[in-house]
Amino acid sequence: MALLADFGTTWTKLLDTRTGERQVLATRDAREQKADVATGHNARRRASRHVNELIAMAQGGERLLGEPEFLLLDVGSRDVKYVHMRRGELVGMDWTTTCGALTGFTLELLGHYYGLDYGKIQPSGKSVPVTCGVLGMEQLFELVSEGVSEEEAVARFARGIAVNAHRFIGEPEQFYLSGGMCENRLFLGSFPEGVEVRPLGRFVLVEGLAAELSRT
Amino acid sequence: MSERQKRIGFAGCPPEEVLAPRRNEELVDLDNLVEGAEARSELLLPRTTCRIIRRILDNALALDLDEVVIDEGYGKCDAARGLVEVLEGLLDIPIVRTQNENREGMGTPVCDSDLPVRRKMELILEGLVRPETPKVRREPRPRAAIWGVPAADLAIYDLLPDGAQILGWARCLEHRTPADWALEMYVPEGVPTVFFAQTFCPKNVVAQHLARQHGGLHVDVDGTLSQPVRAKIEAFLRFRGAHE
Repeated sequence: MALLADFGTTWTKLLDTRTGERQVLATRDAREQKADVATGHNARRRASRHVNELIAMAQGGERLLGEPEFLLLDVGSRDVKYVHMRRGELVGMDWTTTCGALTGFTLELLGHYYGLDYGKIQPSGKSVPVTCGVLGMEQLFELVSEGVSEEEAVARFARGIAVNAHRFIGEPEQFYLSGGMCENRLFLGSFPEGVEVRPLGRFVLVEGLAAELSRT
Repeated sequence: MSERQKRIGFAGCPPEEVLAPRRNEELVDLDNLVEGAEARSELLLPRTTCRIIRRILDNALALDLDEVVIDEGYGKCDAARGLVEVLEGLLDIPIVRTQNENREGMGTPVCDSDLPVRRKMELILEGLVRPETPKVRREPRPRAAIWGVPAADLAIYDLLPDGAQILGWARCLEHRTPADWALEMYVPEGVPTVFFAQTFCPKNVVAQHLARQHGGLHVDVDGTLSQPVRAKIEAFLRFRGAHE
């Protein structure tokens, strides 16, 4: 029985394996939170056992999917990462905090700033080049100043993130998505046409920690 | 009164016949970290310059040297050759240009030993200043390997299991044959290998190629080891069973 934690930059995900209770807390409200096994930001200092994000993600995917091969993408607040597993072997992975930096964070920020409901915005066929969150935001404000609606500008921003992330993982026809962006309907609808995105939710990395428990 | 000992900086792997007569002086390997050296290279070199070339310049400007010896032969890159010109323009001391084409190797006992990998790299780097052959045991079955030049941040070597083999230019360095391309390209089959190069180093071309060819992991690091690169190496070694 253990408390498992994924300390994300913005959100902290907790799973108590004794009760099965799951919690999502704002990381700023969970600074004193400790765990038995953890992954994510400063996890080494906040848990007796640390598992790095890529390993947690790969193990979480295996535990949740049970498929011989899968490609799993995580678009976080500050970074983008993926793992490609085949029969228990890691055949591909990457993690970038430079290109794609702050994209998830910026999308969330823009939603608050403009008071948008991402469940009600139609995906756009156009995109803005989102090299990173900050540069993408500059493009977005330019569009708004040119008279494009805030909803359309943000939809193009979301498509920019989605197109970049899809390229980052090698442009597969189908893949799984992990993280808070699974709950953003605009983002889910912003990938190129014909691409099948299967959201797995916010607890994939935490599930990977549960798998780690069973290793010992 | 005895003559003051000179402080001589060297970069790369100059030929032994050039280093040997200078070993009575204070020899400083400019490729290695010197605590407190001011990062003046930020203003003097393009941003796309690798961390080691930056470090050589920072150290050369900080250490009040009497002489600099640089290998600018086939074993070094254009950035190093360009750096010689920069140093000649900035320093009023002799800059000795050398070309190490040595093919008579000294062996690679440290690269192939059972020591922790960071210790291996320290011994290889120290060996240029004090060429003693350390007594080491050969690792019969290396569980992993790391290919590349010596890293600016030695923490990368702590991620590998003890006895992991050292390959690439760092292996050539222990062998004292920095221009031995065949040795640099040597990669044993079936050993999980991390192919490392400094960010902006042209060796990334061959590092990525070899990683694809041998099913290894290519990483580039600009100075300090980042969390994503650390995680990638850990995950690669974990899923390839290198720590079991």
